[in-house]
Amino acid sequence: MNKEKIVWLKINSSSYYNILVKLNDIGITLYDNKKEKDYILIKTKYSDYKKIKKYLVSYNTTIYDETGLDKLKNILKKYQVFTIGIILSIFILFLANNIIFKIEVKSANKNIRNLILEQLKENGLKTLSLKKSHKQIEVIVNKILDNNKDTLEWLEIKYDGLIMIVNVTEKTPTKNELEYAHCDIVASTDAKISSLNIYRGVALKEINDYVLKGEVILSGDILYNEEVKNTVCASGEVYGDVWYKVSVTVPLNETYTYYTGKNRYNLNVVFNENKYKIFKSRIDKSKEEEINLYKLNDFEINLVKEKEYIEKTRELTETEAYTKGVKLAEEKVKLTLDKDEKILLKKVLKNEANDSTIYLEIFIVTKENIGKLKVVEEEIPNGVESNNESVQ
Amino acid sequence: MKNLHFRDFFKNYLYDLEDFITIYDNSLHVFNYLKLNKLSDTEIILTMEKFIVTIDGINLKIKQMTKQELLINGKIMKVEFKYE
Repeated sequence: MNKEKIVWLKINSSSYYNILVKLNDIGITLYDNKKEKDYILIKTKYSDYKKIKKYLVSYNTTIYDETGLDKLKNILKKYQVFTIGIILSIFILFLANNIIFKIEVKSANKNIRNLILEQLKENGLKTLSLKKSHKQIEVIVNKILDNNKDTLEWLEIKYDGLIMIVNVTEKTPTKNELEYAHCDIVASTDAKISSLNIYRGVALKEINDYVLKGEVILSGDILYNEEVKNTVCASGEVYGDVWYKVSVTVPLNETYTYYTGKNRYNLNVVFNENKYKIFKSRIDKSKEEEINLYKLNDFEINLVKEKEYIEKTRELTETEAYTKGVKLAEEKVKLTLDKDEKILLKKVLKNEANDSTIYLEIFIVTKENIGKLKVVEEEIPNGVESNNESVQ
Repeated sequence: MKNLHFRDFFKNYLYDLEDFITIYDNSLHVFNYLKLNKLSDTEIILTMEKFIVTIDGINLKIKQMTKQELLINGKIMKVEFKYE
């Protein structure tokens, strides 16, 4: 809609009532008026200003002031240099606060410096790029450390004004990586050996052999005619079947979350890792889902969907409790396993149901890496510090 | 049968033909006046369609004005209607 411009006019006359009658005669719309000593101010349409100029020629009529956006435009025009200065200052301030002008990697090793710079670049941190929030930096640091487990021990990224400082600690080689160390591979637990890959050293055990915890599987002693001719740091992968007996008690009453289907929307502002809700939450117990609407460094505005829930209790059948118990036992064992390790077999040994609980005793067999490096201390050369044991 | 004046009602609704005067505290609103005959700080005379209205008061001023409406401010002492 094209809204007509509204202006304040200054009519040089002291006869207020005469002027108003004349303005009424020529059909002027008057939104407001003020009577001053030598002149009258009237607020009217711009088209009426032209009418006044045309019909009331004996009065000196000028535009005194404008209103709305036109007034703002005039002010900006009047103070053009000042306005541009302010905008430029804000822009420069924004740049100074949010742009990385230099990246300093604090490491004496050139390769590490290059590696870090390359990794930072891959994650969007380079010279003249926007600074990232602390949360994003944390994610990047973890990612870089994960990607370079073998070379980096610790990494810290912080800002010092326009400079991004990266403190890094290289990983120092551990004893098992020193080729001249004398070490054996021993069993970390009682197990039955299921696979054996020897990289260095002599195997004292074979596949399907049972070993006790601490028993040597791969020896670093190179024997010839039952005489030690040389020593090495034994290296290899030893997998074995390890057995566990897990006891689990499952209550027959289970509490679960029931979503009522009632949803409410809210807004929250995250600033400096502190969260502030804009509106008061009208739901007592709710699960929240956030959708990011705006983000700039540490400042975020999120749309929050609050899903109402209530906690309900239900009684499990014996079969359900049994399944849940077996699953719990499996999860308990899985917590101790690495990625390449797995559960081979599970068998319920005991199943006792009481009034309110069910008791299960489960036998579980897993495939695990049972090889553990044990350094033979007498063989370590002078000047090399060592721990007694280190896990492979 | 009673005449419901539907036609007049809709005509008035569409064209705002009826005139009226509303008096508030220290102000007076006139709708559908025809002419401003006299204007001074003590007396305002307006011609309406069916009568002439004279407003007497102290410090009378026209606050807002269009071709149809007037908003008068000031201390209103008397409003007089003169039918021709």
